[in-house]
Amino acid sequence: MSDSKPEDSKSEDPDRRSFLSKVSTLTMAGGLIAGYGAFAGMALRLLYPSHGRKVSWVFVGEAEKIRLNDAIRLQTPTGQAVTITRLKQDGTADDFLALSTTCPHLGCQVHWEPQHNRFFCPCHNGAFDPTGKATEGPPAAARQELAHFPLRIDNGLIFIQVPTEALG
Amino acid sequence: MASIGAWFKERIPLQGEVLRELTNEPVPNHLKRWWFCLGGTPAYLFVVQIVTGILLAFYYQPSPSTAYESVRYITDEVNYGWFFRSLHKWAATLMIASVILHQMRVYFTGGYRRPREVNWMIGMCLLLCTLVVGFTGYSLVYEQLSYWGATVGANISENIPLVGGFLKRMMLGGETYNEKTLPRFFILHAAILPVTMILLLGIHILLIRLHGVTELQFANEPADAPKHFRFLPDHFYTELTIGLVLMILLSALATILPADLGPRADPLTTPEVIKPEWFFYVTFRWLKLFSGTAAVVSMGFIVFVMFCWPLIDGWIRRFTRFQEASVWIGIAAVLTIIGLTVWEAAVEH
Repeated sequence: MSDSKPEDSKSEDPDRRSFLSKVSTLTMAGGLIAGYGAFAGMALRLLYPSHGRKVSWVFVGEAEKIRLNDAIRLQTPTGQAVTITRLKQDGTADDFLALSTTCPHLGCQVHWEPQHNRFFCPCHNGAFDPTGKATEGPPAAARQELAHFPLRIDNGLIFIQVPTEALG
Repeated sequence: MASIGAWFKERIPLQGEVLRELTNEPVPNHLKRWWFCLGGTPAYLFVVQIVTGILLAFYYQPSPSTAYESVRYITDEVNYGWFFRSLHKWAATLMIASVILHQMRVYFTGGYRRPREVNWMIGMCLLLCTLVVGFTGYSLVYEQLSYWGATVGANISENIPLVGGFLKRMMLGGETYNEKTLPRFFILHAAILPVTMILLLGIHILLIRLHGVTELQFANEPADAPKHFRFLPDHFYTELTIGLVLMILLSALATILPADLGPRADPLTTPEVIKPEWFFYVTFRWLKLFSGTAAVVSMGFIVFVMFCWPLIDGWIRRFTRFQEASVWIGIAAVLTIIGLTVWEAAVEH
């Protein structure tokens, strides 16, 4: 190799140089994209809420203290508002209905309108019957309903299963 | 003195021809009419927003426990706090109004047509940024209407197919409005969006300089009248006059109708009557007319059509005989927007 003539190496140079130049450019661009891409991915992960969801059974009160057709309102540890209504008196968890008062349409709070026997959302005129099923407005068009929460009765005490740790 | 001047001339080589070249762009004659200067108006108001926003940021504290109290403190106790807060609020209102008027002017005079399509798209991005800045700014007050406005706004994004849930969680910092939400809105409002807008504005103005302003000919203008005038000083004086009028108008509005403060946010009670800021009345009414996903997807489609309008209009003009279709479509769109806004303003629910 060392005997090769200078003229030969000169004629090979442009191709080899061009190839090496392309390879190094691509390597450099790839490295930059991978490096900054990883950085962007980590930044996105930093901004995305990191805690998982967790649900637990939470004590509500004594079952016998809620009379037929009465309702109580409570707030879950994550800040959600829930209405628990007594619909029957069989002495089981099915006597009660636990509904979220957060409108499934766009998250406003519904309120009970006794004169219309319905929950009403003032944001976009959504209405729900006493069981939480949408009857009017955009939630009815999308066949939505107020979220239900599971209930349990142990020794006459009501417990509700709600999120205790929110995504955050 | 001469040596100081020479020292600066050597280090900042921006004199003579270079400076004349940069500032003395010939300006088309129609820009002597002030309503053609609506592009400069939002730019001026944007500067007012930056200055007043920086002043307010010295006192504002973005957390649910402190935000409302800090706004009350600015309004009631800080020297001239009420005035600068009111200036910020009214400049935002006028800025959004002038951006919309500017866009309408560009639309109806065909200023978006070839070769200015990209600048229209940048203008659309600026319009969307302006609306989001308005939305996040309104949410920072942490009064009842701003809290529920923010909740509705974040939940709207959840209806976007595929990425909606991700967007909502990124915006709120969780599933629902929580203590991490206000800092996010504040950073968007005071850092990310203004910087984005400055960059977009830079490109917007650069493209205007590269292409020049669309030239309009009016019927009552004599044919031999000069077609252009100089940017410096003639057009600069027009912009200064507009700036002066805007400052007087803003001061008058801030004094006569100062920014008020509603009841503190209550996450457990949505007010019986809830309305967003006037520029979202159209969206709010639209959301009442259709279910969540249908409303959001249709709004997204409308924004997409607006964004691509120069290309769609070009296609219509090339392949159909409806050369002025854009005018009739524009009139129909404006009437629809006005109609929905008035409808939302006129009724409680």
